Amino acid sequence: MVAALTIDALEVDFGGFKAVDGLTTVIDEGELRVVLGPNGAGKTTLMDLISGKTGSTGGEVRLFGRDITNRPEHQIARAGVGRKFQIPSVFRDLTVHDNLRVAVSQVPGVFRNLRLGMAAADRARIEEVIALTGLEPVLDTVAGDLSHGQMQWLELGMLITQQARVILLDEPTAGMTQAETLKTADIILSLKGSHTLLVVEHDMAFVRKIAERVTVMHMGKLLAEGPMAKIEADPAVREAYLGTGGLH
Amino acid sequence: MTRNTLFRLGDWGIYALFIVIVLGLPLMMDDVFWLNRIAKYLVYGMLGIAIALSWGYAGILNLGQGLFFGLGAYMVAMSLKLQSYTSMQQGSDRPVPDFMLWNAEPGAPTELCCIVKGSWLWLPFQAQWFGMVMAIAVPVIVALILSSAIFRLRVSGVYVAIITLALVLLVRLLIIDAQPVTNGFNGLTDLGWLTVAGIEFDPYMVSTYYIVAVSTCAVLLLTRWLVSTRAGLILQSTRDDPNRARYLGYDVAAYQVFFFTVSAGIAGFAGMLYVIAAEFASPSFLDITFSISMVVWAAVGGRSSLIGAAIGAILINTIEATASETEMFQEAWKLIIGVIFVLVVLYMPRGLAGLAQDLAGRIADARVGGKQRARTGAPAE
Ligand SMILES: Nc1ncnc2c1ncn2[C@@H]1O[C@H](COP(=O)(O)OP(=O)(O)OP(=O)(O)O)[C@@H](O)[C@H]1O
Ligand SMILES: [Mg+2]
Repeated sequence: MVAALTIDALEVDFGGFKAVDGLTTVIDEGELRVVLGPNGAGKTTLMDLISGKTGSTGGEVRLFGRDITNRPEHQIARAGVGRKFQIPSVFRDLTVHDNLRVAVSQVPGVFRNLRLGMAAADRARIEEVIALTGLEPVLDTVAGDLSHGQMQWLELGMLITQQARVILLDEPTAGMTQAETLKTADIILSLKGSHTLLVVEHDMAFVRKIAERVTVMHMGKLLAEGPMAKIEADPAVREAYLGTGGLH
Repeated sequence: MTRNTLFRLGDWGIYALFIVIVLGLPLMMDDVFWLNRIAKYLVYGMLGIAIALSWGYAGILNLGQGLFFGLGAYMVAMSLKLQSYTSMQQGSDRPVPDFMLWNAEPGAPTELCCIVKGSWLWLPFQAQWFGMVMAIAVPVIVALILSSAIFRLRVSGVYVAIITLALVLLVRLLIIDAQPVTNGFNGLTDLGWLTVAGIEFDPYMVSTYYIVAVSTCAVLLLTRWLVSTRAGLILQSTRDDPNRARYLGYDVAAYQVFFFTVSAGIAGFAGMLYVIAAEFASPSFLDITFSISMVVWAAVGGRSSLIGAAIGAILINTIEATASETEMFQEAWKLIIGVIFVLVVLYMPRGLAGLAQDLAGRIADARVGGKQRARTGAPAE
């Protein structure tokens, strides 16, 4: 197995408070890893550290063996990391189709983009993503007018269009109806194998549907790691979730 | 025909109409006085385009665009000043601006090199091409340095407006302060004419109008092409959500710097053309009110439409010129334009262009809808 993402003793210190504290884990290529943890465990911060939004104060992040720790966001993205935010983040004044066109970013420089139209291969990829996400009927809709679910799928679609090798998803089903959640699970499962995914999620029904290996974080540290069944039986995990309602 | 193709056709139709009218105007109007005026308004139209590019497409509100316009104007005015008849009448074989004599210490040699402190800066401007090249190069270089600093530091929104505003004020003061080399408050007047291949371009000649008219159309088409490229689309994405663009792999600052600089280059080019048509350059080009006027023109015309902003600028200035012929109207006009601006910002953020698009959209809907109804026999919505 090739390690897609290696997180090695990663740490961030917010003036004495370590939101992520010496976390180590290795995610294999094509794996779908779910990250669990109570509120404030540091899951979003972990994604911030991987994607360059927040600078780490210790440890390393490696992408297919290449050190990407604390690089500028756009360089980490170019190296192959795609990220979906907790609050849907799309280009609200552009149409759905234009959002996907922007997401074709293999050639990111200004001058090399001073041309009309795009390569046939890129157009074909956009078509595939449209089919996968079911956004066909709203292609000409301005993204800001989409429903919450559609916006989430668009953002997901943009990451696929971007050809991110490692995709970070922060609560992809937050605020979705049950039907929307099911569809999102289908999209995510279809990415497994061809993409490496790191998914933060609270919805346990959803997690059970998609999860293989699970990493549980607590107070910035790794609490447990392993298959879903083992995690659910782990007393330390139960302990951590006490008072927050537990895993349910 | 789909709604989109109809729309695109209408869009290009407006561009074609604009170009035909601008280029055909001398055939319909033989009043050279008005033709010269319109040439100046076309220059303002170009400024509207520059504002729309940075404000509408990049989301960068530059309240100091007059800086680049002024720099471009001064650069070419320096060359034209040296080309004027009076500059040859100052007692030297080579041109010396008259105002430098007034500012010279007694006994200073009447030579550009050393008549006043810093007058040597004028030396290369003896070549007209140098002034013309500098009219674009200087605004572009200043914009490049300024915008690199601003956007690498991720300054955005109102802070960019404040910085650009402060800068145009500062440079205006510097120009006024450097009286011996810039003629201070009075600016550069009594300029020679642009001379290309032995042909002198009298500002009141139709050919001078055509220099401005063709330049305006060229700038319009060039910027239109720019925003239609993938880079233009990516630029708009950085306006909507710079972070999302970064996480897709784009260096957002690079896009902002590029388009800010292009916008500044257009403003510099406009400054150059203005001097050719108006025969003067003045620190008033760097007045805050002028820079703000540009924003008003673009807002009224439609900041997210290049041609809308151009038409906004031309329309407002034409109405203003017609209106100010009656004295009572002159004061009232300022009030009227202020009120229009506020109304547009509050109720019509897409300006005249938005209004036209909505109208066209309705017509297109009616057409396409009508045909589909005819084909499917379905009732109208
Ligand atoms: N920039 C920052 N400065 C200081 N503290 C921060 C910063 N960012 C996050 N934190 C803190 O770090 C802790 C972890 O936050 P984080 O958002 O990573 O949690 P989470 O696991 O994503 O929680 P949730 O499930 O609620 O989304 C929180 O206590 C938060 O207040
Ligand atoms: Mg979170």
